Amino acid sequence: MGASVALDCDAELMLRVKDGDGASFALLLEKYRASVVHFLYRMVQEPAVSEELAQEVFLRVYRSREAYEPTAKFTTWLFRIATHLALNWLRDAKKERSQERLDDVEEGAPVREIADRAPSVEQKLVRQVQVEEVRRAIAALPDKQRAAVLMHKYQEMDYSQIAKVLSCSESAVKSLLFRAYETLRVRLAHMA
Amino acid sequence: MDWLLDYCAGRLDRDRAALVERHVETCADCARFVESQATVWHALDQWEPEAVSRDFDRRLYRRIDQAQPSSWLGRIFRPLQPLWRPVVPVTAACLLILASVVLHSPHASVTLSDTQARIEKAEAEQVERTLDDMQMLQEMTPAPQQEGQSTKSM
Repeated sequence: MGASVALDCDAELMLRVKDGDGASFALLLEKYRASVVHFLYRMVQEPAVSEELAQEVFLRVYRSREAYEPTAKFTTWLFRIATHLALNWLRDAKKERSQERLDDVEEGAPVREIADRAPSVEQKLVRQVQVEEVRRAIAALPDKQRAAVLMHKYQEMDYSQIAKVLSCSESAVKSLLFRAYETLRVRLAHMA
Repeated sequence: MDWLLDYCAGRLDRDRAALVERHVETCADCARFVESQATVWHALDQWEPEAVSRDFDRRLYRRIDQAQPSSWLGRIFRPLQPLWRPVVPVTAACLLILASVVLHSPHASVTLSDTQARIEKAEAEQVERTLDDMQMLQEMTPAPQQEGQSTKSM
């Protein structure tokens, strides 16, 4: 019931944008700016690129306003655009960058040493290392598995909605998620 | 398997969650799955991105402004847009000056009948010229033995 109300609210706002209401677009932007940027950041893992792509997402939403029809959830449409842009960027970037090796220490990455300091600082360093490991584990996933996991975990989308975003079947989404989570369980098992 | 995944994500309804819990109590494999998936879930929770830039909206609206119009005609002429600004007022000024010159010239104050008379006269002259040209062409058309000689250009 709550999700349906949210759907109506977002679709209603977008229909107002279609009618030329700029304030409604600002409301949608305020509501989804962070989630879109964070989703794209977790996908491409480059802060500047994630914001550029996020802007492209909202730009396309705005430019498509006249043709908008609420045939699906607004978030489905929004994240379909975001996923499409992210997958395209990843595909293009793979041609230019080399795959990171698991053992490479990234420039700027936290030093893997436990400093002889107060526990709070040590805990902070440990946490940074853990976050870095999670980041690498996600980065190592195939692009579509990554997108499925990020939508499932952080956007709390169900299989049906993820399937619509990725333009595939629900069973395909489940397969993507099962394989992705299996990889992550193996990779992050030591963090138990 | 998707029930287990949904259970670990906290998205199962109460009845199904209870079923899974009872099953996990008796199935070692599923219990290990739930435990390891909970580790993954907790690890993913630790990954918090940085805040969005403060000027995100400003940059977005600037891009929106630059992107308009979205018509194909607008996209073609958009690169020329900086040139239009001085051209349009200059052209308008020239047209105004020209219009004032035309309106104030002696020949501008003509009546409709005068204009009509000139048009008829011009048409008659044009017909006469055309007939002259045709006659000249006939005279200039070379005889078969004279082929190869250049004709006068029109």
